Amino acid sequence: MSTERHPQTTPTYKITCRMIHEAAALERLCQVVRIRGFRIAKMAVETSVQNAEESLYIALTVQGVRPVAMLQSQLEKLHTVAEVILNTTALAPAVGRTA
Amino acid sequence: MNGAQHILEAFHHHNVQTVFGYPGGCIMPLYDALVDDVLVEHVLCRHEQGCALAADGYARASARLGVCIATSGPGATNLITGVANAHRDSVPMLVITGQVPSSLIGTDAFQETDVLGMTLGIVKHSYLVERAEELPGILEEAMELAQTGRPGPVWIDIPKDVLLADIAAVPSQPVTRSQTAAPDLGSAIALLRAAQKPLLYSGGGISLAHAEDSFREFAECSALPAVVTLKGIGNPGKHSAHNLGMLGMHGSRAANRAVDECDLLLVIGARLDDRATGKLNGFAPNARTIHIDTDAAEFNKLRTAELAIRGDLNAIFGVLTQAFRETPLAISDWRKECQTWRTTGGFQAADNEEPLAPITGPAFIRRLSHIAPDNTIIACDVGQHQMWVAQYYQFDHPRHHLTSGGLGTMGFGLPAAIGAQFANRATTVINVAGDGSFMMNAQELATIRRYNLPLKLIIMDNQCLGMVRQQQELFYNNRESQINLDDNPDFVAMARAFDIPALKIERTDQVRRGIETILAYNGPMLLHVAIAREENVWPIVKPGGSNREMIDEARRASADTKEIVA
Repeated sequence: MSTERHPQTTPTYKITCRMIHEAAALERLCQVVRIRGFRIAKMAVETSVQNAEESLYIALTVQGVRPVAMLQSQLEKLHTVAEVILNTTALAPAVGRTA
Repeated sequence: MNGAQHILEAFHHHNVQTVFGYPGGCIMPLYDALVDDVLVEHVLCRHEQGCALAADGYARASARLGVCIATSGPGATNLITGVANAHRDSVPMLVITGQVPSSLIGTDAFQETDVLGMTLGIVKHSYLVERAEELPGILEEAMELAQTGRPGPVWIDIPKDVLLADIAAVPSQPVTRSQTAAPDLGSAIALLRAAQKPLLYSGGGISLAHAEDSFREFAECSALPAVVTLKGIGNPGKHSAHNLGMLGMHGSRAANRAVDECDLLLVIGARLDDRATGKLNGFAPNARTIHIDTDAAEFNKLRTAELAIRGDLNAIFGVLTQAFRETPLAISDWRKECQTWRTTGGFQAADNEEPLAPITGPAFIRRLSHIAPDNTIIACDVGQHQMWVAQYYQFDHPRHHLTSGGLGTMGFGLPAAIGAQFANRATTVINVAGDGSFMMNAQELATIRRYNLPLKLIIMDNQCLGMVRQQQELFYNNRESQINLDDNPDFVAMARAFDIPALKIERTDQVRRGIETILAYNGPMLLHVAIAREENVWPIVKPGGSNREMIDEARRASADTKEIVA
């Protein structure tokens, strides 16, 4: 399914996501967004190291006409995704976060 | 111990006894380690797609982990269809591929492909092992991940230098799987008690949750009228009095009618696939829905559920069974109505008893079902024969019916049957194929011969791509396009070239003896069954149409003949 051709009228959602930083982590996330019918309008990524594990904090603005809850549940299924929050509130900054 | 040897140690620890693979450059360290291993049986298929589909069939038939191995580049790309097949049907599988040495990744090295990037959409998870010391942990995690929750294929891509690197022996930690309690089912029980016409709708998730026995107990105890998806065939058992059969595009009239009339749909371990539901807004129009599944992402994906319950199916069935044993459902009128439909709206293709009459697909499968021993495993390919098997073979257990449900992979059946035979050495395993599907993995005849598997191969040959031809006839003004296969090879001669005996039948009076002959033969044998080119699968719902608009042979001429793109 393609997203609507007029992005300005397409519903827009903000999603924040925390996932393990490993090979192809971002590609995996973006692939799910695309195949579930959304397009990425904006994306910001930061890394953080806590307890010897490197995490990615991703702030996504996505557009799509399908129910965004479906996208959220599909992202939550990814093995390396620790948290998905659907709102305008970003995840709390983590100690030791690096640009 | 190097990385390759560690992989075999992990197999030993997890009781992986059989793997399917094909060697090549970057996976050679693992094949070198296999030379000294006596505990893991490596099955050499003749194409990597055959390896993946054999591992799939092994897993489906045994409820164990399927494992396939290939080298980098073309070895990995050849696996992809088989892995995608496992992904779509949630089959637990571990995929191991060699990769070019770490220092060469990204240099367009010989037989390099970006396996991780290429396979993201067809795996439950995947790994590129970047450091040798990560390998033990990744192996443990991958095997656990493939088999828990909603199962699926997990792919580990391992650079050659990692396979050769020394790895300290790491004692494996025993995996403890906790028993989860059933969620609160009070609301579900109340909805079921309030319903006048509740219907049980089960799918492949029953087997995935290893809940076949507890499901059957619940189904019998509740005596709910029941329908099944393609992958749920066998869930209620062939003696169930309440089973109305498969629903959907080629489902029974009884099943689709019951879905149409019910006021409560209890969906368990099913994902409301479009082949089952038809046009969604015409599906179960009067029903509220309770959806029970292991995977929360299936809830409200295609149809809003009044109640969505995620949890362990065995625990859930335990609670439901107890509830309805203590106080049975008062739905006798609805049961009677469904029984009437079951009597009149089942699959009803007539047998032609005329000895010289051509063999028809439904009659042949019906006869096969009568003659084959109990517990026979049937591995289908994809097409008309697949639907005739689904309609007319009486399965008593879902793991006896191996079919490519989600991906619809032609060429699935033969390697899947090989895998099933390795998982069940003493069981009769039959591959029912079409002539088109058979040719897609026919190289695996060599695998059957090599291991002297007593597989029975049945080719239902209508000299064309029958399901495509049927839809072209019905929905594309009979404009046949690229479906003709009348230049098929001589399948009997082809089998014999692989040292597999074979015979051909083409008349009704040859059916019984043909089936009995291949079943009695002590070894692999092929039965080439010639059937009419023009035969169709009935009934059919046109793609994108509503299930209440089923077309049968009598209505074919009056049917609206345009395919609908939903």
